[in-house]
Amino acid sequence: MSAYRVQDPRIHGIKTKIRVVPNFPKPGIMFQDITTLLLDPKAFKDTIDLFVERYKGKNISVVAGIEARGFIFGPPIALAIGAKFVPLRKPKKLPGEVIFEEYTLEYGKDRLEMHVGAVEPGERALVVDDLIATGGTLCAAMNLLERVGAEVVECACVIELPDLQGRKRLSGKPLYVLVEYH
Amino acid sequence: MMQTTSLIRCSNLLPPSRFAAVAASPLLGASFTRSEASFCVQLPSTSSQNYRFTHSILRCVASNSVQGRQMASEDGQDPRISRIASAIRVIPDFPKPGILFQDITTLLLDTKAFRDTIDLFVERYKDKNISVVAGVEARGFIFGPPIALAIGAKFVPMRKPNKLPGEVISEEYSLEYGTDKMEMHVGAVKAGERALVIDDLIATGGTLCAAIKLLGLHLACYFLQSALG
Repeated sequence: MSAYRVQDPRIHGIKTKIRVVPNFPKPGIMFQDITTLLLDPKAFKDTIDLFVERYKGKNISVVAGIEARGFIFGPPIALAIGAKFVPLRKPKKLPGEVIFEEYTLEYGKDRLEMHVGAVEPGERALVVDDLIATGGTLCAAMNLLERVGAEVVECACVIELPDLQGRKRLSGKPLYVLVEYH
Repeated sequence: MMQTTSLIRCSNLLPPSRFAAVAASPLLGASFTRSEASFCVQLPSTSSQNYRFTHSILRCVASNSVQGRQMASEDGQDPRISRIASAIRVIPDFPKPGILFQDITTLLLDTKAFRDTIDLFVERYKDKNISVVAGVEARGFIFGPPIALAIGAKFVPMRKPNKLPGEVISEEYSLEYGTDKMEMHVGAVKAGERALVIDDLIATGGTLCAAIKLLGLHLACYFLQSALG
């Protein structure tokens, strides 16, 4: 489900603030740049509010954010709904004992890590990132949380690229996005 | 663990505007004690007869004086501080032997302590006409946005090289071995804006100083373009 279809009046303001940068990081890619959204305090606040309104009062105790742009959207949501924030990081950044999940890239593999003990069995969790493309990163994030016994309630992203069919990689887990780019 | 803010004054020789940047972080590195000596960093000053202006000089002063460094954990400590301090985990020998790493992820697991951390900054900076909160990648991205949202400022990420997709300006800074580079989008910050720089921790100050220089350099570039017409 996405707020796009419900056409909340705040969505248009959010969508127009996202800058598309062609050929980054390589030719042919239209990069969705959310830094311009962050320069508009009202649009940034609306973005957070839309997620908070959806998740407040739903007994969610964990917001997991994917490094690095998930660190921008996750904490404000966590603070507003009274959940803890758990950073999911690239290898070797977290100082304590970690568990990791590998995932494939276009060429090669990458790895997402989470601190042992950050999330307890039975906790209800959200996964937050700025964008879902192929869904590989989000899938790895979900796996990490489920492996420690948490329930992933939903994945939440500002932007979806539906043509890349990331939704399918989420094993039926709900995905909530604010805007889509075709 | 102690919280600290360093008041940065910029002696700006580019008339007619001034700009002030304030750096804030919730942690002072464990290797520093309360009696640390003051340090001063000066940017090189360059003057060009062609353009008739002088590059801004930035002086960073962190000292024990009352006018200089302020710590929320001094006498008359805010009651929220001790919970924040005890929520931070110290991890020995990370990333290498001899380093005591200050791990803020455990603070983020304590919803009250995380809320209090943000509130302490927001109470300090609200209604001070601050329009920019710049956060240093990546842990500055965790603390900066909630502060920005609460005080009505925009958030500007300061990133490692090649992460920002648009046109950037960059600043090199030294590491123990070698150098690193920090980047900011051109156009994110406008001349005359009042900015806050946020990170989770200040150790030697190299990263924060680079961030401050970027904000100052960006304004210098703006004036350069104006002078050229």
